[in-house]
Amino acid sequence: MKKLNRRELIKIAAAAGAGALLPREAKAFGGMFEAITEKISEGIKGTVGREVETPLPVKGARFGMVIDLGLCIGCRRCSYACKLENNVPDAINPPYIMVFETKYKPGQIIDENAPVGSHSNGGGLLYTKLRKDRMYMPVQCNHCADPPCAKVCPTKATYKSPDGIVMMDYNKCIGCRYCMAACPYNARRFNWSKPELDPEKINPLVPVRTDGIVEKCTFCVHRTRRGRTTRCVEVCPNRARTFGNLNDPNSGVSQLIASERNFRLKVGLNTGPQIWYLTHPKKKPMRWYKPVPISPEIRGLRK
Amino acid sequence: MSIVKNSIGYVRESLADTDKKFYIYCLVLLIIAVLGLGGAITALAEGHYHSNMSDMVPWGVFISGLAFFIGLSAGATMVGLLIHGFGRDDYHPVGTRAILIGMLSIFAAMGCVMMDVGNPFRAMKIPFLLRNETSMFFISSTSYMGFTAILIAELVSTIYVTIGKAGKRGKKIAKVLGIIAVPYALIVVHSFTGTIFGVVKAREMWNTPLLPVHFVTSALASGFALVILVTIITSWASKKELVGRETYNHMGIMLCFFLIATVFLDTFDYLILSYSGTEEGLETWHLLTGRYLPTFLINMVGLYAALAIVSFKKYRTSRGLLYATSITIIAIAAYRINLISIGQLVPLYPEMGEIEYVPNIHEVAPFIGLVAILMLVYAVLTKLLPLEDRVHLTHK
Repeated sequence: MKKLNRRELIKIAAAAGAGALLPREAKAFGGMFEAITEKISEGIKGTVGREVETPLPVKGARFGMVIDLGLCIGCRRCSYACKLENNVPDAINPPYIMVFETKYKPGQIIDENAPVGSHSNGGGLLYTKLRKDRMYMPVQCNHCADPPCAKVCPTKATYKSPDGIVMMDYNKCIGCRYCMAACPYNARRFNWSKPELDPEKINPLVPVRTDGIVEKCTFCVHRTRRGRTTRCVEVCPNRARTFGNLNDPNSGVSQLIASERNFRLKVGLNTGPQIWYLTHPKKKPMRWYKPVPISPEIRGLRK
Repeated sequence: MSIVKNSIGYVRESLADTDKKFYIYCLVLLIIAVLGLGGAITALAEGHYHSNMSDMVPWGVFISGLAFFIGLSAGATMVGLLIHGFGRDDYHPVGTRAILIGMLSIFAAMGCVMMDVGNPFRAMKIPFLLRNETSMFFISSTSYMGFTAILIAELVSTIYVTIGKAGKRGKKIAKVLGIIAVPYALIVVHSFTGTIFGVVKAREMWNTPLLPVHFVTSALASGFALVILVTIITSWASKKELVGRETYNHMGIMLCFFLIATVFLDTFDYLILSYSGTEEGLETWHLLTGRYLPTFLINMVGLYAALAIVSFKKYRTSRGLLYATSITIIAIAAYRINLISIGQLVPLYPEMGEIEYVPNIHEVAPFIGLVAILMLVYAVLTKLLPLEDRVHLTHK
C-alpha cells in the first residue's frame, strides 16, 4: 500500500472538509441538528411480532424537501434506495418514489408524443446519463400540511406529526384504502399480498408491514428524527434533493424555496404540500407544473 | 329444550305447504353462495392480490356495491313512511317485506365493506376502539349500525302488529320507527355515504357538494324500485296479487317523482361536466363517452326509458312496472359503477397514462355470493316470518 506524504494528506483532508461543508448541505442540515433535542421512542410495534421503535417527533422542527428538476437526471436511485431502506416488498409497484419521464422539445410546453406510463419499477430503467431531450419528475408523498389522507382515515392510522411528517400507525390500519382514494399525489401503497423480503436485507429500524394494510413514505423517520437525512437525499448522485427544517430560516430547504423557480404540486387543492420543486432553469415546464411565486403562506413557514 | 322443540315445530309448520320449486331455488342460491364465499375466504387468507384493483384504482366492485346497497336500503324504508306517515294502508301487505329488503341491503352493504377492507377483524373495532370523527367512512359506518338497529326494531314491532300482539303502545312504536327510518336513512345514512366520495378533492368526478343529494335521489329511486319489483315477483310466484291495481299506480307515480329528481341531477351533472375547464374534468368526460360509453348509456338511457314508462298511467301496471323497475335498478347500478371507477381512472398525473380497471372473477364471485346469501336469507325469512299478506289471508 502506497504511503501518503504530508502534502497529499493535507490535500485529501482539505477536499473532504470542503465536500462536507458545501454551503447548501451545511445550510440544509445545520438547523435540523440543532432542533433535535429528544430521541425518546414512542414504540410503534411492527406488524410481524417485531417491535420497532420510532423516535419521537423532533421538537420545533418542520421537515420539508426541495427537489431541483434541473439537477434530476432520472436515474431512479432515490426510488430504489428508498425501497431497500424502508423494507418495501417487491410486490409494491410502483414504489414510494415514482419518477416520470417526458420528452422535451425547445419551445414546446408538452410533447404529445411523450412516452406515458413510464414510472419506475424501482429496479429497472436505471438511467445514468443526462439525456438532454428528457425531463424527469420524481413524485412521492408530499407530507401535506393539511393531509387529506389523515382527515379521511377512519381509525387515525394516518396522522400528522408535529414535525411535519405524515405518519402511519400500521397497527390501526384496517386497509380500507380511503387514504389512497383521497391522496391527490398517488403516494400511498397497499399490501395486496403477504410481503416477501429477503431476511438479510431487512432494515431492523423499520417495521415490516403485513398484507392488508397501507404504507407510505415516512421521510425516513427512523433516520431523520435521529439527525440524519433521508435515504433518497443521501443517494442522489446529482444532489437534486435537499431535506431539512422549514422552521429554520438558515436551512437549505428554506433558502431554496426562496428561489423564483419554486413550485409545488396541486396547490389549488390546499393540501399544503411540503415538497417544493425547482423548475429546470432553461426548460419550460410540463403541463402539470404549476409554478407559483413565493406566497405569504410559504414565507409564514419560516417562523 | 322446549324452545328448540317449539322452534323446529314452527319451522316445519311454516314450510308445510312449500313446493319443491322453493327448495330448488334455495339450493341454487346456496351453491352460488358457497362458491362466492370460497372467493371471499381466499381473499381473506391471501389478501386482494388476485383482484384487479391496484394502487392507482384502490376501490373496486365492493365499494360500488356499498354505494348501491346502501341506496337500496334507504329507498326500501319509504314503504314504512307511506304506511305510517301518510296512512296508505294498501301498502301493508308489503310492509314487512320492505323492511326485510332494507335490512338485508344494509347487511349487504356492510358485507361489501368487510370483503373490501384488508383487515376485516380490525375494522370491527370501529367505532368503539378505533375512531376518527373527521372521517366520512367512520361516520357512515357508525350510522349503518344505528340504521340496522332501527330496522331490526321496526321489523320486530311490525311483526307484533301483524300477529295482533301489539298493544296501543306497540303500534305507536311501530309507527314512530316507520317514520323516523326514512329521514335517518336519507339524511344520515345515504347523505354521508355520498359524502365519503364528495369530500375527496383529489377526484374531479366525486368532489361536488351535489353528490350527497345525488345519492339520496338515486337511493329513493333504486330502493323503491326494488320494493316494487319484489312485490311483482312475489305476486307472480305465489299467484296472488299482494297489492291492487290502484297501489301499483301509486307506486308508479312515486317512482316517477324519484326518477325525475335523479334524471334531472344526472343530466345537468353530465352537461356541466362536458363543458369542464379542467383537464381532469375533460378526461372524466372523455372516459364517460369513450371506454365507459356502454355503462354511461345504460345509466342515462335506462333512467329516461324507466321515466318514460312510469310517466303514463296505462303502463303503471304490474307488467309495466316490472320493466321500469328492472331498468331503474340496472341504470342506477351502472351509475354507481361509473362513479366509483371513472372517479379513479382519471390519472392523478398525466404522465401516468391510461389506467385500466375491469373487475375480475375474484372480485365478482364473492360479490355474487354475497347477493345469493342475502336472497337466500330473504327467501327463507319470508317463509318463516308472519307476513301481513299471509296473516290477512288466514284471517279471511
